[in-house]
Amino acid sequence: MHTLVVNIRLFWQGTLLSYIALFHWLRPVTYTASKILMPLAQMMFFVLLGTYATSASNINFYVIGNAVQITAVSGIFGVTMSIGNDRSMGTLPYLFGTPANRFALFFGRAFMHVIDGALGVVIAFMWGVLLFNLDLSNTDLSALGLTILVTTFSTCALGLLMGCLSLITANVMFINNTVYFLLLIFSGANVALDKFPLWMQTISNLLPLTRGIAASRLLVAGSSLESISPLLWQELLIGVVYGIIGYFMFAAFETVAKRRGTLETV
Amino acid sequence: MNILNLFRYWRTVLTVGQITLTNLMNDGFILFAVFFQPMIIALLALFMLKDKGADYGLFVVVGSGLTGLWSSLLFISGNSINDERWNGTLESLVAVPIPFEVIVFGKNLAHVAQSILSMLVAYVLAALFFGYSLTLSQPFLFVISLALTVFAFVSFGLLIAPIFVMYRSVQQWQNAMEFPVYILAGFLFPILLLPDWTTPLSYILPPYWAAVALHGTSTTTLPLNGILFAWAMMILLSVIDLVVASRLFTYMLYKVRVDATLEME
Amino acid sequence: MDAIEVNHLHRVYRAVIGVIRRSIKEVVAVGDISFAVGQGELFGLLGPNGAGKTTTVKMLTTLLIPTSGDARVGGFDVVKQANEVRKRIGFIFGGERGLYWRLSGNDNLRYFASLYGVDPDISKKRIPALLEMVGLTGRGNEKVGGYSRGMKQRLHVARTLLHDPDILFLDEPTIGLDPVGAREFRQVILDLQSQKKTILLTTHYMFEADMLCNRIAVINQGGVIALDTPSGLKKHVSDLSVVEVETFGAASEAIEKVRALSFVDSVSIEEHDQRQLLMVQTQRGAEAVPEVLAALDGQRLGRVVVREPTLEDAYVRLVGGNA
Repeated sequence: MHTLVVNIRLFWQGTLLSYIALFHWLRPVTYTASKILMPLAQMMFFVLLGTYATSASNINFYVIGNAVQITAVSGIFGVTMSIGNDRSMGTLPYLFGTPANRFALFFGRAFMHVIDGALGVVIAFMWGVLLFNLDLSNTDLSALGLTILVTTFSTCALGLLMGCLSLITANVMFINNTVYFLLLIFSGANVALDKFPLWMQTISNLLPLTRGIAASRLLVAGSSLESISPLLWQELLIGVVYGIIGYFMFAAFETVAKRRGTLETV
Repeated sequence: MNILNLFRYWRTVLTVGQITLTNLMNDGFILFAVFFQPMIIALLALFMLKDKGADYGLFVVVGSGLTGLWSSLLFISGNSINDERWNGTLESLVAVPIPFEVIVFGKNLAHVAQSILSMLVAYVLAALFFGYSLTLSQPFLFVISLALTVFAFVSFGLLIAPIFVMYRSVQQWQNAMEFPVYILAGFLFPILLLPDWTTPLSYILPPYWAAVALHGTSTTTLPLNGILFAWAMMILLSVIDLVVASRLFTYMLYKVRVDATLEME
Repeated sequence: MDAIEVNHLHRVYRAVIGVIRRSIKEVVAVGDISFAVGQGELFGLLGPNGAGKTTTVKMLTTLLIPTSGDARVGGFDVVKQANEVRKRIGFIFGGERGLYWRLSGNDNLRYFASLYGVDPDISKKRIPALLEMVGLTGRGNEKVGGYSRGMKQRLHVARTLLHDPDILFLDEPTIGLDPVGAREFRQVILDLQSQKKTILLTTHYMFEADMLCNRIAVINQGGVIALDTPSGLKKHVSDLSVVEVETFGAASEAIEKVRALSFVDSVSIEEHDQRQLLMVQTQRGAEAVPEVLAALDGQRLGRVVVREPTLEDAYVRLVGGNA
């Protein structure tokens, strides 16, 4: 029981720390505003480009795709930075010098970003309703909420994996930007997947977000939770798999770094 | 700035540009901004505009190249003074007899010239991956437009960098400034799609006129007088940017020496 | 004409305190400083941390604007004629930052040469000569990131000599160097002096100042409290001798007891891992030893020596003793 309490506390500390680190750079007001405006700018660009490319009747396709895609801002940038910061600030050796439970340590860093990311998607949907006439009257909103949460979870899991990569390579910004923009293509937020060649479709199916976006589109069009639940289960499974791989990479990184004495220098 | 300084110190501008390029080669983020991001945007846009046909190939190439140009201007040139501060070299740069804005001009020139690569990347991608045949309709005018684009972007960057130094709260909006310019400058779709009240905003953005000139000379959509007008606007806005930048630099250099912020705390 | 003239320089920093309720606090970094440095002189600026040395140097190198007062360097006003000053000065702020680590040593120098407007033909010849002078011959093509700290600091010297300035400001140039590196660096400073350069040096190391400087200004709490040659400064303490007592983990109460003795002028402590060196300044000389030892009764003691005062002792007395 005691161990559990300790680990829960550890989990929360990681959560809080990764958030405080974020606020150290962004002032709360700016953070809030950027939480609302940045998604809008990106959505507008792709919605305009998409409707220009095809036709205005497809607007929902782009609005929903890009609204869900917003989760990657927290899931990829937020999570990788909260891990990468430990390296750039030089706190990693101290962290690895503690007996703390690595599982709680690792996943604590992602938790707040799941909430943050889901919130971002909700705001983006709000923009959709306000500016792009998105009609949610036929939509099971609680099912949509669940979809958003699951999708954010799986995206954050990918973020954790990428955060581990950033521990090995020199440039966090490079990694998370590349992944973020690749998701923009492969998630199907802006291109119907059947337009891709087969090998690209395969990649899409192995990534988080893809099914979450598809499920959201179906829900908005009036599908029931039951009919989309296979998509959600798969999305969840993808998240779990990425999370586990990420956790083992984190552990492996620690071992390798300690053996080679490269905690600070790699 | 005193534009004559650019001619007077042309040799310094070139040396600074050349050394900046050498220095950038090892930076992973630069590689992303110049190479990967425009490539990904080009790929995405090529897929999105696929149904419009091969005619749009060149439009996408030029447009996504421009997104790369703007992103690297915003993130790399925008930070070009702050980077020196983080590196501990800002003090040495301020305390030289060459005007500081000439140095920053040289740095920005390197950044923007390097970003031209992103257009080349998009070109290769469209040709190889999509098999589009891409020929510039007015190659000579296109090259002049490209040169003016570089000048206009560099001058615009000279305005951004000192603002980011003096007002940290503005710099926090950096991420939110990327896509609005993609939209307002009409890089990948015409600004006719936007509400009327945004048009004046587009007109005061040098990237908008760059997009007009480059799209207009790569495909045959724009008559010569339209091209000339876009050129004139780029030159006019560049001159205005340089004059305002000069004031900003003078004020910034005074302010940082009063506030003691040349050095990072 | 003096190379450097400083008249009543005064500098205040404003610091914003608090995140939510912001208030502005003024901190006086330099209260009122005046001194002059002659042509070709090697002038030392000594003082404890926070005394205003670096602020003074930054005002003289045109990097900070004084709150009031004025200064002339090479005959030019550091605010109104900043650019004329910049052409004639070079400066080093100790430490290894301030270079482009991703560039080679040669590229760093080529870059700064062009910023100082040095003709490329001249810099082509000067760069190898400077690298030789600072002992970096053959290393110019390597990236600076791979240099040792000493090499980086010597590259800074080469950087600051590119435009052949008459006046040099060296702010704690040997900080963080190992003893051999610091010795090599001091040799470079002496070479510069032999080339008739005017040098203003700030340092924490008294023996360094004693060895190098023609004259020294001691500043404390933002003002000059003494200005003399090293031997002149030592005269301040000619009446004193120093009892050095080696202790092993002496309790602070015991040290306070020594400090409280009526004939003790001041006590300073040098920490060396397990042991400390108490330096007790007193006018009594060897006669003080028994009472000092009595005050330290019960502590583990090592060697006890009575010696003549050094520049450091003069400094300690000047800045208020308990350094």
